[in-house]
Amino acid sequence: MSNDILLSARDIRKSYYIGTPNELEILHGIDLDVRRGEFVSIVGQSGSGKSTLMNILGILDRQTSGTYTLDGVDISQAPNKDLSSLRNKHIGFVFQTYNLIARTDAIANVEMPMLYAGVSPKERRQRAIELLEMVGMKERMHHTPDELSGGQKQRVAIARAMANDPDIILADEPTGALDSGTGRLVMDIFHELHEKQGKTIVLITHSNELAAETPRIITISDGNIISERNNDGKGVA
Amino acid sequence: MIKENCKLAIISIKANKMRAFLTMLGIIIGVAAVIAIMTVGNSMTAGVQKQMESYGVKNISVSIEQIDYSQELSEADEENMKLSPETIHSLVKRFDKQIDAISIDSSIGSGTILVNNNKVQVEATGVSAGFFKANNIKLVSGNFFNEIDYSQGNNVAIVSEKFAKQVAGENYKPEDVLGKDYEVNINDEYLNIKVAGIYEYNQAGGNSRSKSTPMYMPIASAWNFSHDKDIYYITVVASESTDPVQFSNDLKTFLTEKLTTQLSDKFMVSVYSNQSMIEENTKMMNQMTMAISLIAAIALIVGGIGVMNIMTVSITERTREIGTRKALGAPDGMIMLQFISEAIILCLIGGIIGIIIGLILGDVASHIMGYAPHVSMASIYMSVGFSMAIGTFFGYSPAKHAANMNPIDALRYE
Repeated sequence: MSNDILLSARDIRKSYYIGTPNELEILHGIDLDVRRGEFVSIVGQSGSGKSTLMNILGILDRQTSGTYTLDGVDISQAPNKDLSSLRNKHIGFVFQTYNLIARTDAIANVEMPMLYAGVSPKERRQRAIELLEMVGMKERMHHTPDELSGGQKQRVAIARAMANDPDIILADEPTGALDSGTGRLVMDIFHELHEKQGKTIVLITHSNELAAETPRIITISDGNIISERNNDGKGVA
Repeated sequence: MIKENCKLAIISIKANKMRAFLTMLGIIIGVAAVIAIMTVGNSMTAGVQKQMESYGVKNISVSIEQIDYSQELSEADEENMKLSPETIHSLVKRFDKQIDAISIDSSIGSGTILVNNNKVQVEATGVSAGFFKANNIKLVSGNFFNEIDYSQGNNVAIVSEKFAKQVAGENYKPEDVLGKDYEVNINDEYLNIKVAGIYEYNQAGGNSRSKSTPMYMPIASAWNFSHDKDIYYITVVASESTDPVQFSNDLKTFLTEKLTTQLSDKFMVSVYSNQSMIEENTKMMNQMTMAISLIAAIALIVGGIGVMNIMTVSITERTREIGTRKALGAPDGMIMLQFISEAIILCLIGGIIGIIIGLILGDVASHIMGYAPHVSMASIYMSVGFSMAIGTFFGYSPAKHAANMNPIDALRYE
């Protein structure tokens, strides 16, 4: 594991106006560093602000104040129109509800981020097949989402998240909609990606059990990081 | 990128075939109506034009007309409506190069010929040599009249093929008719004629149901028979290199100046070129077609609103898909392109089906109305362009809405 910092969040605050003069602050100044190749889980109950944090880390949303640097790029300075290409290049999303495109077969789903990155059709197809093979879905590459089970859909979604070889995979409750057996299978894929390919993975979950599988656990509650510890049980500074 | 978007659009259209068809229906009906109307209009214009051209595009008719028709005319006034031989001569002298022929004709009357107890009817007309050129009459056998026939007023005649068949049977031989003498009863006065030639009888040009056909004689013969040498109008055939419209203006100016005293303040020279009549007629028909087409185009706009409606529904239904695409890095422009492509393809398919239906309808309608169908290519280009424009125009606002969606809200949409 190298020591260089991939993701750095400093004093991230996020507030929403719920009609003047009231302002609701969801995140109260989050400081967070993730090193390249880390597998981190962010745990918190619903309403803790973990989804808001994930949206900011995933460049789907902007913080109200604070700085967020990803791979040396200060995201807060990037113009709106560049956000989609930043997401496309740096981030692979895995959602709780899979969010595969309906009526579109598995391989086309995996190709999609590469399409937006401007990869040639031939290269796209080749890479998509490799990725589907990696998650064990090569045989079903021409199946549409409604012909796949939940676990299969999530595996296709992981392959899709890997399409542009992103710096970081953001997985939001990836096993939330799955039974424990298929959930296990999906978690194994994440472990494999982390261990064999050195992928940086941020897992967002409400389950302490799932978080316990990751080498580093960050607990968030009421918009604050309340604990941050390595999985050997010792707290980190 | 365009290809990818078209593929996406086709997938989405296929997923909702019935809905897509109903959406297209408005476009189909609109395009079909425009194409059918323009085809019928074009066929009519072309048909009428062809008919008018058969009378001769180079023909210019010249006459003297009353300025105010409500005025009673004295006998002396009637005299002033005639074109004198001097006037005609001066015209020929002045415009020698522009004139190909001058056609004068004078009706002798309706006549009957008794052949083998069969009454054959003719319309006897005295004509000048230029008449045959002006009216594009061609001989199938025999000869036109010669100089002597014209100058002496010989009682020779050129009859129609139909006449030949009436007197000598369907499978007549030219010699059965040519050179034969016939006695024509015109208002109980008898005129003896000898057949000099047989002309090609154009069924379509004349009234095919009429039993009577024109029979032509030298104009001098007509004058001899009816003792009336009055010429009220002539037809000037402009030469090949002359623009008939411009020439008719020159003719009018020349005659108006020359006949100042004859015209006084009661008459004017009337000069009409067939060409300008054809042009006017075509212009009028085109305007009419355009006006009706515009009404039909309203159907296209209604169809376009249908497209907009369905695109709005489709985008709402696919909010999560849009959110996912944006999260995975689709720029706003790509989302917009995707949905605009869908609208355009929807309209284009509708447009193509509409063109096919419109062409069939136009073809059938033209046939029923008795015109050769004349497809207006302009209407096809216009319809395709128009339906694509509708797709873009009515697809724009829903597509823009999709492109501007916030990915977080879109991902959360249930």
